[in-house]
Amino acid sequence: MEYGKDYGKAEMMAVAIIREIKEGDVVFHGLASPTPMVAMKVAKALGKEFTYLTLTDGVDHDWSLPPYSASTLTDNTYEGSVATFGLDSIFDLFCSGKGDIALLSCLQMDKEGRIAMSYLGGDYEHPKLRGPGGAGSASLAPVTPRTTIWKTGHDKRIFVEHVDFATTSPALDKMFTVITTLCIFRKAPGQKYLRLDCIFPYTTMQEVKDNTGWEIEETEVTVMEPPTAEELAAIKEVDVNNILAFEFK
Amino acid sequence: MIHALRAGACGIPFMPVGGLWGSDLVAQRPEFFQIMKSPFEGEPVVCVKALIPDYAIVHVQEADIYGNCRILGPTFQDILLTRAAKKTIITTERLVGTYRMQEEPKLTAIPHFIVEAVVELPGGAKPGICYPEYLTVDWDDYKTYQGAVKAGEVPKFAEEVLKRRA
Repeated sequence: MEYGKDYGKAEMMAVAIIREIKEGDVVFHGLASPTPMVAMKVAKALGKEFTYLTLTDGVDHDWSLPPYSASTLTDNTYEGSVATFGLDSIFDLFCSGKGDIALLSCLQMDKEGRIAMSYLGGDYEHPKLRGPGGAGSASLAPVTPRTTIWKTGHDKRIFVEHVDFATTSPALDKMFTVITTLCIFRKAPGQKYLRLDCIFPYTTMQEVKDNTGWEIEETEVTVMEPPTAEELAAIKEVDVNNILAFEFK
Repeated sequence: MIHALRAGACGIPFMPVGGLWGSDLVAQRPEFFQIMKSPFEGEPVVCVKALIPDYAIVHVQEADIYGNCRILGPTFQDILLTRAAKKTIITTERLVGTYRMQEEPKLTAIPHFIVEAVVELPGGAKPGICYPEYLTVDWDDYKTYQGAVKAGEVPKFAEEVLKRRA
């Protein structure tokens, strides 16, 4: 598959998210998460067996309903659910160790995986930019076995040397993964710092280094396999309204 | 927030919470977050202070005149809110007979004895969503509402909306 012709950054990111899911996983993503939402539906279309929890209380809703809005709070992630399981129950589930993946995002992140979601610039009371806050991230990131951050961008304003106010920090004893438009970073249990895990086919080590605010020590990493024809066909089949493009405009 | 409401609903002053480790929010908001030692094993636990709202205002799809309510779509934290608040006001898409509750009492999400008032208000969740009555956000009205909040003119906005619907 050829970048720019058969797929773009959006498809690569969605596929990278899908490949994180293992059989039997319990997966949750939050508000305003069109990229993970499309990825989850496509993962279902590809036949992956996992449990998909959303903020609408819906459990394993009818994935074949094409997304029609970037919102993750509509009937689109509720209709056809086999059960309801509210956000309070979801937090309890993950806190008691029974969830697997929480897909979260960030405004900024540093080398330790510390995440800014509350504000950027200024101070807490007088921020230049007030973020969405971090009730979800702060509760989930420390307790989730495989916290997975997705960020539809990759530059030095996002990936910085040091985050001033960490809305949440990854747990030292758990896997922590960051999927960007260029690459995947990981912090394995016991590691303090993120390590570059792999890069996407259309970028280079140099481009990743040039756009990351901390020093990347890895000299050679694997290149992720581009999306397969099957994966791309599933995206087309599920996402007829091209909601995946929403965050890549 | 959920645990704070739970503490409020249980009548206890605070609640231990899972997660939150490594968040600067804990130090930033000592009036809300504190760290204590488990009285059992001694391990540190983040705690949140109880939250007891004066009012919970909850919009439902069906309520009877006594305040028994059915929530036909997602419930979010609405049920918990009604348990934690001092008083609960219900707005409802429609009033139904109490027989509707008696058909399936388990589906009554909010019982009458914790409800202060019921207001029949079709479209009451607009410009937001109320499954399955209206499924998408009315962005034009939403933006007008945002503008009204910034300008401190929410009552005027509400008046205009009600006039339009009358």
